[in-house]
Amino acid sequence: MDGGKFFGAFRACSGIKDAVTLTHVPVGCNWGAAMFKSTSNQPDIRQACTVMHEREIVFGGEEALREALVRADTLYNTPLLAVVAGDAPAIIGDDVEAVIDSVALNKEVVWMDAAGFKGTMREGYEDALVHLARLMEERNVIKNSVNLIGFCPDDFKVDADIKEITRLLNHAGVKVNCVISNCSFDEFVNAPAAELNVVMGQGTELVEHMKKDFGVPYLEVGYPYGLEGTKEFTNTICEHLGIGYDAEQEFDLEHFKRIYLYLHELYGTPVSVIGDFHAEPMTGFLDSELGFDIEVLASLEDDYFIFQQNVRDSNTTILFGSSFERNITEELKIPLVRFIYPVFDHVCVYEDAPYAGFRGAVYLTETILNAVMGFETKEIK
Amino acid sequence: MKTDVEVDVKTEGYGEAKALEAPEIAGKDVLQNVFRDRVFNGIYQGTSWQFHRYGIDCKLSGSVYAVSEIDGAIPLIHGPNGCAFHQRLTPRKMYAPVYNLPCTELDENDVIYGGEEKLRKKIYAVYHRFHPSLIAVLPTCVSGLVGDDVQGVITEVEVPCDVLYIPSEGFAHRSRESLDLLMRDYAESWKDPTRSPAYDLRGCGHEEGMFSLVDQLMEEQDIVENLVNIESFGRFTYGFESELQEIKHIFGEMGVRVNLTLPTCTVAEIKRAPAAELNIVTRNIRWAERMKENFGNDYLRKWFFYFGFDGVEKFYLDVASKLGLDGEADAAVKKEKMQALGELERYQRMFARDDFAVSTQGFFFTPYLVNMYAQDLKLPIKYLCVDTQLLKGLNISDRTIEIMMRNMEEAFSNWDMGFEVVMNPTLDEMSEIAKNVDHVLSDRITPPLYEKGGGIGMVDISTTRYLLFRTGFSGIVEFSKYLANVLHRSQPKGNRKPIISRFDYDTTYYPLLAAPMCMASREMWSTMWGMKSERE
Repeated sequence: MDGGKFFGAFRACSGIKDAVTLTHVPVGCNWGAAMFKSTSNQPDIRQACTVMHEREIVFGGEEALREALVRADTLYNTPLLAVVAGDAPAIIGDDVEAVIDSVALNKEVVWMDAAGFKGTMREGYEDALVHLARLMEERNVIKNSVNLIGFCPDDFKVDADIKEITRLLNHAGVKVNCVISNCSFDEFVNAPAAELNVVMGQGTELVEHMKKDFGVPYLEVGYPYGLEGTKEFTNTICEHLGIGYDAEQEFDLEHFKRIYLYLHELYGTPVSVIGDFHAEPMTGFLDSELGFDIEVLASLEDDYFIFQQNVRDSNTTILFGSSFERNITEELKIPLVRFIYPVFDHVCVYEDAPYAGFRGAVYLTETILNAVMGFETKEIK
Repeated sequence: MKTDVEVDVKTEGYGEAKALEAPEIAGKDVLQNVFRDRVFNGIYQGTSWQFHRYGIDCKLSGSVYAVSEIDGAIPLIHGPNGCAFHQRLTPRKMYAPVYNLPCTELDENDVIYGGEEKLRKKIYAVYHRFHPSLIAVLPTCVSGLVGDDVQGVITEVEVPCDVLYIPSEGFAHRSRESLDLLMRDYAESWKDPTRSPAYDLRGCGHEEGMFSLVDQLMEEQDIVENLVNIESFGRFTYGFESELQEIKHIFGEMGVRVNLTLPTCTVAEIKRAPAAELNIVTRNIRWAERMKENFGNDYLRKWFFYFGFDGVEKFYLDVASKLGLDGEADAAVKKEKMQALGELERYQRMFARDDFAVSTQGFFFTPYLVNMYAQDLKLPIKYLCVDTQLLKGLNISDRTIEIMMRNMEEAFSNWDMGFEVVMNPTLDEMSEIAKNVDHVLSDRITPPLYEKGGGIGMVDISTTRYLLFRTGFSGIVEFSKYLANVLHRSQPKGNRKPIISRFDYDTTYYPLLAAPMCMASREMWSTMWGMKSERE
């Protein structure tokens, strides 16, 4: 169940926190992207739409785009307008670039062709970041600094996870230069100052681009779930930067000890996981650290109906996924632990309750136990 | 300490010989359902409504919603996978996403060569996967632009279920002015329901869905006397089930039977819809007009003219009249009304002891709502505070607002209700008003605004007022019981400091925050959407 290229590009652009994303689309695409983004940050409405209507379909959407650019340039006090053009302008052949070039604007403008039918959400994200990269400027390298790449502003737990990951890296002597895409315009522009790009799951085209244009090397790592996942994440980065540090010294089992009997009872629990690049690292934690048995592991690009059938045919007792999996978990009367986009029926606003990192391992475990212990439908036939 | 359950209203001197039922027991299910709706559904619905200040959803989402109401139907999106991805979360039922939403997943190749073959294959695949009674094909912007002959494909395919299509291309959405025109139509015809014209069909998706059901699924039937269809707006709509039960009960007493609720029913039932003698329309009349053209079914529009005891009575008598039951049904309706009035009398006496101010929103139905407060509940209203700011926030034009206000003035003058009307009171004015009455009721969502700084404590009836809009007499009684209970136990709320009262809100676009980014995005949306309307 993939969101398509438009959603990926929108998510990448809206991660520049002081930018406005101008969607050149009919109303529905704009609405859908906004609804998934706004669950846990309701005043953060930084998007506008050219509102392509029948008239634009017949006569072209260039005039609507021109109007929107001029108005957005005046209305918003932001440094950047990111224009994300969707399916309709791609088919009718709007010359977006020519329109942008024809108007004098005070803001930086970056545009991208993000027609949904042209690729996956991941491809949209990659493509958008490469387009945005033209804003980056050569900078003196800051020693022991990294950019963290692969985030979206509407990822579940994104702010808490970034806070925890930053804490861990700072503790190891690593400075976080920029988090992409969850940063300010200035931070994004200054991203080439990092000594190392750390890419988690997505953003590989950007790091290739930055390596070529700015000479920033990169490292691909898994998302830091669990104690071992976090240790590996931190140690790999430190090793690459030449910092002698072993994150294992931060291991603290005290929280786990408090609930060790419950963990004993859950050892061997059959679970299934579906998700984007977060899914495999999550599976690693569930399998190798909580001792769960993984029944089904699926990616978003797999056939969703086959995934559902596989889960039905398995012994799955907890499912890890997004809000879209509520249906199958209700059908099977099992708990759902939400951890990937889109999550629209849970909020995450507290920045000290991550899923990533050492603290995240504790909070994630707590969440799993509560999902099981508070589960209302426990009847056994 | 007394609990709510222990409240003995009789001892307060409201009752006569017959003891007053404990309010929290009588109608408990109905009230609980109202609050459950508010909490479990409203948390999504109310929020998504506010996001309409920044944009509107796709026409496709309305179609998806309409199809999702039909038992045994599967909506099939003919477009790229991104459409199916986010349309699962249709704004009308965000608490219950449409999980089974297959899609033809059009890609670049299909944009060049057409997606008809993919659609044909997908219809077969959907049938084999879900075995539905109906597949509703929903074209999108992409398939619309490519020019796929959707109608041709569904005519050709041979699957053992019905297949129809609903025009759902997202670029043909409703205009910014449509709400204003709707409001104006109703405001101009507020005294006479027969004058209310049909408003613009295009754009919401639900309406297109209803049309498709009439044109492509319904079958000619022998019309059965005294059989009616009721248009629903979704099984999750506030109080849908309990209201339907009451309607069925009163209809039953009148000798009228309900054929189905449309489209909240099965595919087979929809096919038999033309057997009804009468359609009761709750939204736009155009689908009912089409049924009249195609199958000869008459219709009656149920709307705000039928609020209040007299309005509800009139509704049932109008139905009876349409069915040729004049006179025969009168006694049954009268009996229901008198029984409810008897129950209501106790609460009316209770309310009569105090003075009230009512804070309400200026809307086309406001006179009818106020009439219920004053005539049915017999609230001694000293001040009626009318807010028109929210109308501006909904892009309602000054002209339409003026018509609504004129209607209100005319109604209040004719009805001689004896209260003072205060338009758009300031916080200070509201504080003064509050000092001069025993209770301030608010049927809007604004009480938190007035509680800022430990200000005015209002009795919030914004949720329970939905009981007043039901097509039955019991809703008004249940509301009265609730209000009696709340007033009986209520304590002054002046010392509260709700967190949401600490924020700075924009007064015109409440509850949007007075934050530059929110306001800029709202204005941007309003302007761009408005420009499309001007050109039509």
